[in-house]
Formats: sequence, structure tokens, C-alpha cells
Amino acid sequence: MPDGSNIRRPVSHRWGALVAVVGGGFIGSLSRAAVASALPNNPDTFPLATLVINLSGSLLLGLYLARRQRADVTRLSLQFWAIGVLGSFTTFSAFGFETFQLIEASRADLAVGYIAASTLGGLLAAILGGRLGRVMS
Amino acid sequence: MRMAMIAIAGSFGALARYQLSAIIQRRTQSSVPFGTAVVNLVGAFGLGLVLGSDPNPTGPLLMAAGFTGGFTTFSTWMIETARLGILPKLTTRATLNLTVLAIFGVACAALGYHLTS
Repeated sequence: MPDGSNIRRPVSHRWGALVAVVGGGFIGSLSRAAVASALPNNPDTFPLATLVINLSGSLLLGLYLARRQRADVTRLSLQFWAIGVLGSFTTFSAFGFETFQLIEASRADLAVGYIAASTLGGLLAAILGGRLGRVMS
Repeated sequence: MRMAMIAIAGSFGALARYQLSAIIQRRTQSSVPFGTAVVNLVGAFGLGLVLGSDPNPTGPLLMAAGFTGGFTTFSTWMIETARLGILPKLTTRATLNLTVLAIFGVACAALGYHLTS
């Protein structure tokens, strides 16, 4: 049954958001799997693949959001790029599990280094991306 | 084939993250990004569960692992931490959002792993 709210907020807007997030999530996850398979991956060595993915994704998200502020892009663009593509490209679950694996492999030194590189590096990457975005726009 | 399964599962993970983090954020009415925090911790626990039962998952377990990949997010965590305030001065909230989530993320993955391995 159609009601008054449909006039102000068409159903297609909500469907659009779902399609944007799912489509972006597909592309982001596929890209992550491709990058991960191209880089070496062993449980007892430094998880370089996930680090590269998470830092580059944080940089790109900072860049996108800074440009978005000036370019006045749509909400759908935010849902696709920020939540879908870059949200799914980067991953927290692998970060947590790989750190745990390093501890299990008695490589606490690598675990601490991985956490520090991910968190501090990720923050720096996000800030750098923001600066770049403001310079570019 | 493996990549396609990861991508399909990840796209549903992204949708679940989008919905769940928004619901949590609306309920908590806080400037602290609890939505992303909860999603990330649940996802890390889930990946621990999956890889505890099979370190080299295939089929449905691979899909479950792929789901947690798209469900959790690192980039949003970083942006939200930066927004809590790091420049010019590092705020307590930003520091806690970074350190607490990192440590709990590892703990959640370890807990999940030990429950199924």
C-alpha cells in the first residue's frame, strides 16, 4: 500500500543505497582477494598483504571524503565508494586474526610491529589522503 | 572461483555492516563510533570461529570467511578515529578508539579460534 512517506522518500532511493553498498562491497572484496593472492601470505611471517590493503584503503578513503566535501557528490556515491568499495576492500577481521596468528607462532615482536604499523600507519594514511584531497580539489 | 565466492560473500557482508552499524549508531546516540566497533569485533570473532574449524576453508566456510572480510572495515575505523581528534592534539577518545579496538579485535579472533579449534 502506498502511503504519504513514499512521496517524499521514494522506495527507489532505499533500493539504490542497497545496490550501491552491495555492488561496491563486491568490487572491494574482489580487489582485496586479488591483491592478497598476488602478495606472499604465511601465518608466521609479517602480514604484508593486509597491511598494504588497509593502508592504501585508508588513504583512498581520506582522499575521497576530502574531495567529496568540495565536489558536492551524491549520497549514493558515498554509499558506493566509502561504505561499499573501500569499506570492504579494507578489513579488520584479517588484521585481528593475523595478529593472533603471529602471537601463536611466538612472534610477539612481529605482532606488536603489525599492530603499530596498521594503526599508526592507517591514521597517517587517512590524514595524508585528506590533505591530498584538499590540494587536488 | 575462490575469488568470486569471497566477493559475493563480501558484498553481503558490506550490506550487513551498513545496516547494523547504522542501527547501533542510532541507538547509542554517541559521537563515539560504536557501530563500527561492534561490527569489527563481531567480524573478528567470526573469522576466528571459521579458521579455528578449518585453517584452509572451502565451500560454505570460505563464504563465511569472505563475509567477515566485507562485514568488517579498517578504513572507516581510521577515518572515525581521526575525526575523534588527533591533530593538533591527540584526544583520549581517539587514543582509546584505536588501542581498545585493536587489542579487543585480536582477543575476539583468538576467542573464536579457540572455541572451534
